[in-house]
Amino acid sequence: MAFPHRHDLETTTLLSRHMGEEEARHLDTWLERGGYEGLRKALTMEPEEIVQVVKDSGLRGRGGAGFPTGMKWSFMPGADDDRPHYLCCNADESEPGAFKDREVLRWSPHLLIEGCMIAARAIRARHAYIYIRGEFFPVLPILNRAVSDAYREGYLGEGIMGSGWSCDLTVHVGAGAYIAGEETGLMASLEGRRAEPRVKPPFPAQVGIFGQPTTVNNVETLAAVPMILTNGAEWYRQWGTEKSPGTKLWCCSGHLNRPGNYEMALGVPLKDILFDVCGGIPEGRAVRAVIPGGSSTAYLTPDELDCETTYEGLKEAGSSLGTASPIVMDESTCLLRATRRIAQFYAHESCGQCVQCREGTEWVTEILTRIEHGDGRMEDIDTLYDLCEQLTGRTICVLADSVVFPLKSSLDKFRDEYEAHILRDTCTAT
Amino acid sequence: MSEELHPSVAGAQPYMREERQGSGTTDEPLFESDEGRERLEKIRSRYPSARPALLPLLNYAQEKNGWVSTRAMEEIAGALDLTPACVHSVATFYTMYNKRPVGRYLIQVCTNISCHLNRGDDVLERFLEETGTRPGETSENGLFTVVEAECLGACGFATVVQINEDYVENVTPEKVPDIVDALWARAEGRDA
Amino acid sequence: MSEQSGSQEAVTLIIDDVEVTVPTGTKVLDAAERAGVVVPHYCYHPGIPTRPAQCRVCLVSVEGQGKLQPSCVLDAQQDMVVHTATEEAKLARKSVIEFLLVNHPLDCPICDAAGQCMLQDYAFETGQLESRVEEPKLVMGRDRIADDVLYFADRCIICTRCVRFMREVARDDALIVAQRGHRAYIDTFPGTELDNPFHGNIVDVCPVGALVHEDFLFKARFWDMDSASSICPGCSNGCNVSVASKENQVVRLKPRHNAAVNSYWMCDHGRGQLVMANRGIRAEVPLLRDEDGELRPADWKDALDRVASDLSELGGGGRAVVSPHACNESLHQLRRLLELLGFQGGEFRVEQGGEATLDGFPKLKLRADRAPNATGAELLGFERVESLAEPGPGEVLVVLGERLDADPTLPDAAFGEHAGYVLYLGTRITEAARRADAILPVTSSAEMQGTFTNWEGRVQRFDQALREAGIARPAWMVLSRLVGLLGGEGATRLEAADAFDAMAADTSGMEGMDWLSLGLKGLPLASPADVAGGAS
Repeated sequence: MAFPHRHDLETTTLLSRHMGEEEARHLDTWLERGGYEGLRKALTMEPEEIVQVVKDSGLRGRGGAGFPTGMKWSFMPGADDDRPHYLCCNADESEPGAFKDREVLRWSPHLLIEGCMIAARAIRARHAYIYIRGEFFPVLPILNRAVSDAYREGYLGEGIMGSGWSCDLTVHVGAGAYIAGEETGLMASLEGRRAEPRVKPPFPAQVGIFGQPTTVNNVETLAAVPMILTNGAEWYRQWGTEKSPGTKLWCCSGHLNRPGNYEMALGVPLKDILFDVCGGIPEGRAVRAVIPGGSSTAYLTPDELDCETTYEGLKEAGSSLGTASPIVMDESTCLLRATRRIAQFYAHESCGQCVQCREGTEWVTEILTRIEHGDGRMEDIDTLYDLCEQLTGRTICVLADSVVFPLKSSLDKFRDEYEAHILRDTCTAT
Repeated sequence: MSEELHPSVAGAQPYMREERQGSGTTDEPLFESDEGRERLEKIRSRYPSARPALLPLLNYAQEKNGWVSTRAMEEIAGALDLTPACVHSVATFYTMYNKRPVGRYLIQVCTNISCHLNRGDDVLERFLEETGTRPGETSENGLFTVVEAECLGACGFATVVQINEDYVENVTPEKVPDIVDALWARAEGRDA
Repeated sequence: MSEQSGSQEAVTLIIDDVEVTVPTGTKVLDAAERAGVVVPHYCYHPGIPTRPAQCRVCLVSVEGQGKLQPSCVLDAQQDMVVHTATEEAKLARKSVIEFLLVNHPLDCPICDAAGQCMLQDYAFETGQLESRVEEPKLVMGRDRIADDVLYFADRCIICTRCVRFMREVARDDALIVAQRGHRAYIDTFPGTELDNPFHGNIVDVCPVGALVHEDFLFKARFWDMDSASSICPGCSNGCNVSVASKENQVVRLKPRHNAAVNSYWMCDHGRGQLVMANRGIRAEVPLLRDEDGELRPADWKDALDRVASDLSELGGGGRAVVSPHACNESLHQLRRLLELLGFQGGEFRVEQGGEATLDGFPKLKLRADRAPNATGAELLGFERVESLAEPGPGEVLVVLGERLDADPTLPDAAFGEHAGYVLYLGTRITEAARRADAILPVTSSAEMQGTFTNWEGRVQRFDQALREAGIARPAWMVLSRLVGLLGGEGATRLEAADAFDAMAADTSGMEGMDWLSLGLKGLPLASPADVAGGAS
């Protein structure tokens, strides 16, 4: 498997610099490429100083919510709290459309390990866990070897890099549950329980895994940390915008000539990523819709694609940056079917605690399936709108809301599709 | 990979390091061998209490036997001082644990949105046709179990199919017969 | 509700226009209850420690907060203004009910829970008549969870009360949620069933008809049942129960909350006691031995006059064998009768059995003494024995409730043959009773009011659940009349309240107690020292 995304278009390669290089996976060759310099520097710094640098960099969580990373770290109790602290790296990448963390894991495992150790030092953790989704088998031998080598060579474990500071790292593998990617669901799963999210408060920084203060960070977030430590916050801010600094791995899929993973400075127009970097739609067909941030974000129509790819820009466009995973649908796509498929996924992944989510996601799926099969009625549209309302903001976590964004936007923007199926049993796709 | 399995990754081994023989599944005791006991201890050493070792041990059961039997659940419950019911609850939550034996080749076809847009449903249909099975059912010769999978996290390479632990990417319906033929050949080659 | 008794701080908030002050840390749902506002809920149960906030029925509006909040886990805060019935909250609640009914079989006509089902109640309250659901229902069927408990998965709302009762209160992690999402159901480990001495409580905590006792299945409609507050007679723990009856038969015992005794729970041995309450062949009229030695029926007046006159002619003193199932009031009147006759002794035996503790509420224990009133019997001057002393020649033997033939090893069939006179007060005509000179039919504890004193000296009242058999009367009533006829002080006690107050005035440890203050939760004896070593 070669990294297929090298081309002459304007991408920025900070995180992805060594993706595609087999040899960069190994510790010695990684060190030749400047590996572990960020950690070396962090080991000379106090935790608060590390937090401050990351705060100054403006780095925001890359798992979907976009919460400022430095601020999240600062929620952890300080030196006066003698409970064990933990770091969890969320590598349960499972949002449909997203496949960026896998690339970090399989091409640059030491980058992640280094990021984990810097974060662990910043939050005073002595043990970090990488929770990796169970399906990522091909990644495991690569990551496991990197971790074992890092232990052997003193980049993990006792007295890291000759310092007096020690920290463990354990790779923990999941077993097929989207909801284990939710922060509290992940913690439950790591504790050997069903990955059922829980009510916050208490927040993980107070009560996390094993009941102890915990920070959960996404793979891509942690992978961005070493270069920020090495080069400084200002350096990092040369990419991106004031509120959305840095670069982002974009996972582009669906109907594209060059689907794949591209690192871009935040802020470039979405259409440039899709049409220039990814080469547009195959066979010259027109775009019908784009889901910009993974399947839990709202559809954009073709005339909404010049929005700026920042957290704010996509919000302004009525959607969300999410995991930066645009799913492109060309004019041959039946949006009812596509929406049904998305709803079906969330129904399958509902943990089943909250009533709305357990029953509602499935009910929505059944209604959409029925319309798809030609048995729809116009009242179904009202019912679906109403269900969108009842599935929003009512539950412990946001899985139910995740159905609403694509569903409601499809009803708003592609009502003609629903009406064609209901009234004429035909599809508006070409 | 280094000879000695480092405890930090002892709970993170791929399921099928070697290709299975015959129908692909067994129901061997997990912790009666030195290897099993060592794995148990290494995994347990990474957590402050027993229960967090549950998923890694269920993974180990599947790595060893190809599925997670109720017998294995009881054995794991005993090793972690949990009730078998509690293990059952966790095992049924996670979709990757095969609660029934599966064929030597477990073929998981993603039909989630990006694969759906790239004919994932047709790929699934084609695999079912070529193996002569229905979803989740194991073929009579014990070789194939085809299931519909949710997103496998490789959406830029749709349609994605996972065969045992290997990802096969950019699969089209047209490629399916060759893939199945290759699996046949592998199976026959091994058996011969 | 708050456990933090040491907390000095309190917060004042407004819930549905009612100002209420509660200790810091109180949840809004509990604060609302104090304000007289009931917030609907499924997953919250006051006796189960965790609050997963997953049923989402208790969502309320809080001023200043955009989203509805789950009141069961929301801390009450100073100056918080809560509205439990805004349009938004009502709509959210209504939608939860609609969601719960998506796959519900709507089999209320054959559901045991109909009439006391929280799903039915809330569906009724939200007033939605039509369902918008056109989809076929997911059918999951029914399963056996324990030898006496069935699970109707289609009715289940996955509130997990049962699972959490087993895990957190019974401390037996044997009941779990299997699968996930809308395919989730309650299950045991494959091939096993629940086998816990307390597992029957899962039926009580189930807010719908998903978990049912097999021996109650299809037996009675809720609205056809009568209910009485009572005390479980199964052991000396004295669990507070409600006795449900239909057509004068006990159909079900359910625990009744008492924080000092059994919380919300009871054991399964106790539930089985209903069989004992249902009458078999009963003593229904007084029987007196005539000149030919035959037992002949008599009315109460004749019977008591005759017994009183027989007793007054005997001078050998009186001795009694009593049952620890007899209530305090009856034992007190019997003790008075024996004193009038010249007290020679009073004994009782207590059936013994294995013990089991409810770990999440250890005060609730199935205790070795399989009778409700051994402590009371001792306090009232009766002696606990392993084997009964044979009455001496010429003594009057009064038997109260003790079957005498229930245990084939003790005593032998001729027990009491040397007695000068045998007076038998019981609910059944046993072999031993047939040798008596007089049989006076008394009511069972299900058919009367009275009190028991539990293992730790808590005196608790039970009420009448069933009509008496024939013309049987409470033993305290019968015995107090006999006492009067034999010249003792005090009127015939026609009310349990009078019998109790007379006993309290006369009994060390019960000073100051009266029926009024006893209420339905009971009172502890004045000094634990008064409870003799019989507690176990």
